[in-house]
Amino acid sequence: MTTIRRFSCNDLLRFASVNLDHLTETFNMSFYMTYLARWPDYFHVADGPGNKVMGYIMGKVEGQGESWHGHVTAVTVATEYRRQQLAKKLMNLLEEISDKIDKAYFVDLFVRASNTPAIKMYEKLGYVIYRRVLRYYSGEEDGLDMRKALSRDVEKKSIIPLKRPITPDELEYD
Amino acid sequence: MASKFGLAGGIPERRVRPIWDAIDSRQFKNALKHSTSLLAKCPNSPYALALKSLILERMGKSDEALSVCLNAKDLLYKNDSLLMDDLTLSTLQIVFQRLDRLDLATGCYEYACSKFPSNLDLMMGLFNCYVREYSFVKQQQTAIKMYKLVGEERFLLWAVCSIQLQVFCGNGGEKLAMLAEGLLKKHVASHSLHEPEALIVYISILEQQARYGDALEILSGKLGSLLIIEVDKLRIQGKLLARSGDYATGADIYEKILELCPDDWECFLHYLGCLLEDGSSWSNGVHNDPINPQKSVDCKVSQLPDEVFHSRISTSLAFVKKLQADTSDDFIRCPYLAILEIERRKKLHGKGNDDDIVEALMLYFLKFGHLASFSSDVEAFLQVLTPDKKTEFLAKLMKTLDSPATVPTKALGQSITIFKIQELTGNLYKLPCAWCVFLLHTYTCLPYATSKLHNPLKLESCAVQMVKMYCKSLPLSKDLDPQESMHGEELLSMVCNVLVQLFWRTRHLGYFIEAIMVLEFGLTIRRYIWQYKILLLHLYSHLGVISLAYEWYKSLDMKNILMETVSHHILPQMLASPLWGDLNNLLKDYLKFMDDHFRESADLTFLAYRHRNYSKVIEFVQFKERLQRSNQYLVARVETSVLQLKQNADNIEEEEDVLKNLNSGVHFVELSNEIGSKTLTFNEDFHSRPWWTPTTEKNYLLGPFEGLSYCPKENLTKEREENVRRVVEKKSLLPRMIYLSIHSASASLKESVEENGSKSGSKISSELKFLLEHHAKMLGYSLSDAVEVVMGVSSGVKSFEAFGSDEIDWINFAVFLNAWNLNSHEPLQPDRDQCSRGIWHVVDTLLVKYISEKIKSMESLVCSPRVDLPILVQLVTEPLAWHGLVIQSCVRSSLPSGKKKKKGGSMDRHSSLVLNGVRDSIQSLCDILKEVAKWIRGQIDRPEDESVENILSSLRKKEQDEGPGRVFHVLESLIPSINEAEHGGRICQELKTWSALDVARKIVTGDSTLLSQFLNICESKIKSFQALKQQIAQI
Repeated sequence: MTTIRRFSCNDLLRFASVNLDHLTETFNMSFYMTYLARWPDYFHVADGPGNKVMGYIMGKVEGQGESWHGHVTAVTVATEYRRQQLAKKLMNLLEEISDKIDKAYFVDLFVRASNTPAIKMYEKLGYVIYRRVLRYYSGEEDGLDMRKALSRDVEKKSIIPLKRPITPDELEYD
Repeated sequence: MASKFGLAGGIPERRVRPIWDAIDSRQFKNALKHSTSLLAKCPNSPYALALKSLILERMGKSDEALSVCLNAKDLLYKNDSLLMDDLTLSTLQIVFQRLDRLDLATGCYEYACSKFPSNLDLMMGLFNCYVREYSFVKQQQTAIKMYKLVGEERFLLWAVCSIQLQVFCGNGGEKLAMLAEGLLKKHVASHSLHEPEALIVYISILEQQARYGDALEILSGKLGSLLIIEVDKLRIQGKLLARSGDYATGADIYEKILELCPDDWECFLHYLGCLLEDGSSWSNGVHNDPINPQKSVDCKVSQLPDEVFHSRISTSLAFVKKLQADTSDDFIRCPYLAILEIERRKKLHGKGNDDDIVEALMLYFLKFGHLASFSSDVEAFLQVLTPDKKTEFLAKLMKTLDSPATVPTKALGQSITIFKIQELTGNLYKLPCAWCVFLLHTYTCLPYATSKLHNPLKLESCAVQMVKMYCKSLPLSKDLDPQESMHGEELLSMVCNVLVQLFWRTRHLGYFIEAIMVLEFGLTIRRYIWQYKILLLHLYSHLGVISLAYEWYKSLDMKNILMETVSHHILPQMLASPLWGDLNNLLKDYLKFMDDHFRESADLTFLAYRHRNYSKVIEFVQFKERLQRSNQYLVARVETSVLQLKQNADNIEEEEDVLKNLNSGVHFVELSNEIGSKTLTFNEDFHSRPWWTPTTEKNYLLGPFEGLSYCPKENLTKEREENVRRVVEKKSLLPRMIYLSIHSASASLKESVEENGSKSGSKISSELKFLLEHHAKMLGYSLSDAVEVVMGVSSGVKSFEAFGSDEIDWINFAVFLNAWNLNSHEPLQPDRDQCSRGIWHVVDTLLVKYISEKIKSMESLVCSPRVDLPILVQLVTEPLAWHGLVIQSCVRSSLPSGKKKKKGGSMDRHSSLVLNGVRDSIQSLCDILKEVAKWIRGQIDRPEDESVENILSSLRKKEQDEGPGRVFHVLESLIPSINEAEHGGRICQELKTWSALDVARKIVTGDSTLLSQFLNICESKIKSFQALKQQIAQI
């Protein structure tokens, strides 16, 4: 039961039950508001009956030339609404916007190398591990850069895995 | 940027870059060195000076920075030949902004724009300045100028947004919307629109004027194609149609949306609203109260004739059935829950019956009963059932368990759901708990005798069964990642709820300790479960071990906006605790977050302007206002000052410094006066609070058991509003009253010593009297009646009950009354004869009596929760501390000072009376503090092992015995049977670390930590009073 709509500032006051989860980062206000101000189409919330926040996705679109891509910054679902494929719905929405509206080549995301459940889920959604980013998370844990090609990348060039791992300063975008 | 550097006041980039690099890498000294050499070459360059001021500001040299910045500004103004480049201006702007002088920055841009009226960059800079100042009218005027200059769509929209801001957040009237519409219309006619956001703004302006038809026309015209996602367009259309009253077409549109998004619940509600011609779901927006929204959509009883109503209901049913048939996705719940909503509407219309609702609930259960969200999905529908029907529904649920789901996780999910429904309907606490046995049997296949079904076991057995189910379900999670939530986790939260209920009923602390143990056990298995942590936090708070509560709070890592929505779990308890360091951090972090946001918000608003996301502009400004009006923010500001006053109260000089920084409390008095007319916002998210304390003000456990479980929780926001106003109104008078009391005390002695009545003394006296009257009024009395109450309670004529729950406020009142009386020539009670000593004595008696009563009422931790501890702490750290300041002030004024030596032995009658009062006061306060200290030491010095043993002994029960310990016994007896093959390595490993003894020891240690902090406070006060005693002996 999912009403997916654009995320608004007031949702920041409603998402506590989602963000209390230890894996969901609560960013500072300028971070959320920069996303809202620049990429409102990439920031969506899913409401359930009784106006409960079920989960949300935030992302952006960036890059140049063939690396013009959608990026998933965070996707999270409240405990109560897990195992209902909500993350999939939210991801599909972001992919559709990247594909249809912004005509991006691919969508990418970063995930902790140790977060096996999440990696498995992204793989099920069609993402492949494009490359490993050494010590991406607070200089401690490696991150995996996962990608899914969109319709504009006809030859699926964007997702050919990189052979060697890279360091965070080699990343093209933050 | 490189090319821009080249233009900076004509300075070559190579000279400027090292400065920027040094600033960026925070090497300010180095930056300053580069800046000095640059200034040697270009002493009159405003840009060079602006850079210097920027560096100085970053180094914390605000005064110097301001002066250099003003220099730069003057040079800029004077030298007409210089270019007014945006880089210089924006650098100055940054510094002025950081120095809180937005006006100066705006002045610079205004000047620049007047000199170069067609420079678009400068005008954008000026517009940005007005955004920062929230000057909507000036924003509008500047945007219009830019629009006229270049004719770009975005500047027109900037103007339109500025107009909307005047309507929503300023004083702008409705006519302004017409102006905005006119501007847009003209532009559309000549240039059309090119941005989807521009179209959305256009439509919302028409909507504001109730011009739905016009808006629809635009949407269905050429401009409509700007909205690429079809559903977005349909949603707007549906809303406009419904609001215009064209429900039939609206319903068609919503059908279309549901065909595209069959799981969109909100859309379904709109669809039904259209069919039944009920517009409530559009007028009662979610956004009215984003934090505490209504559980079910508010709807009017349909006015449709029965025949029409029936036909519409049939239409909706047919449509929903079609949706069900068309969707193959197992996770789409909306078309199924829709049946329930339709039945609910029928009932509201007087045409439905409870049987149909129960049947629909059953169907929904069969399909989705295993999901964790089931109970919250159906919560609103349960509410319309009569108690009998709820019981019938539960009975039917039980029956389904005759043939439980074959997948174990599904079967577990269904069983948990049934427990949750029982909790939700309150039946868990009323039903004979044989239900649980039945339920458990079905899930676990444990043997049970049918006869037991008719034997009403106690609530306690229910908790036992739940915890057994939890143990039984552990193997299902053996392969899960530790980050993933485990199957059956909710069971322990429910067990905790039942145990707390049992504690409430029986007052047996064992149940309470058991609830703690259950949750601690759960967290040993998986340490990330925030639901357990929050429950534990409240359990420890109620027990009186706030230090442990705070530990759990910290482990939740609440930061940023969560501090606004979630810190209510700990903040109120911390305010009354002796953990001043932790409280200070809590308040400081929260205020920093809020103030940072207020500072940054305008720049982010400008970012939304720049990226043409106009709807976000309005949203950001409204959100900032919402946070500024936050009740918690207001409370935190007042409490931060009160905390400082508490922390420094043992030293009058330090206290005076604090008061000086608080402008002698004047601002807070203003706040107190304004609070009545302020609209406060309540952003706290109370959903995660336990049932026994649904808001910060309520704790049902403090009262007697009333046979209720308080499920579902009420929405108590309205009730809170009044309370918060009262608290802020009273608390914000404190700093000023303390200030005036100190001065009143000293004036009384100085005047009598100097024998030249000072004017300031009478001023203080009249202001303090005014505040006392105000304070009394807030307590519900006139000044003279309040004096009577205080006197009555002190003399024992009235009991402490007369103070109600405002005891601290009453004793504060007595303290300030005494301070006023010292310097007032008015009699306290005009018709009574009394001596000055009288009121000193009243305050002392009140403090001594009340404190000793509290000490006596508190047993050791292992006997009952120490609910009186916060009051005791407050008594010592507030009224007693303020009274201590009055005493310090008296002593200080009586001491012979260097210059003005008092005439030896010629102290007048007034002074000697006052000093006698002071002497007595010091003695009795010192004595009572020693008693408090003795009590604390008595608690701390108890042998740890003995206390630990006491805690554990309440839980040592065999399973078959009744009373606390049975649940705990189930958990403990699980441990020997744990094995890797069945439970997986991780769970086994974690469980090896479980030790109830450690938890008990943690409670005892936590208690000592807390009490030690309180002891430190008391000892510091004793020391201060002893020093005063010595001083006064010399007078």
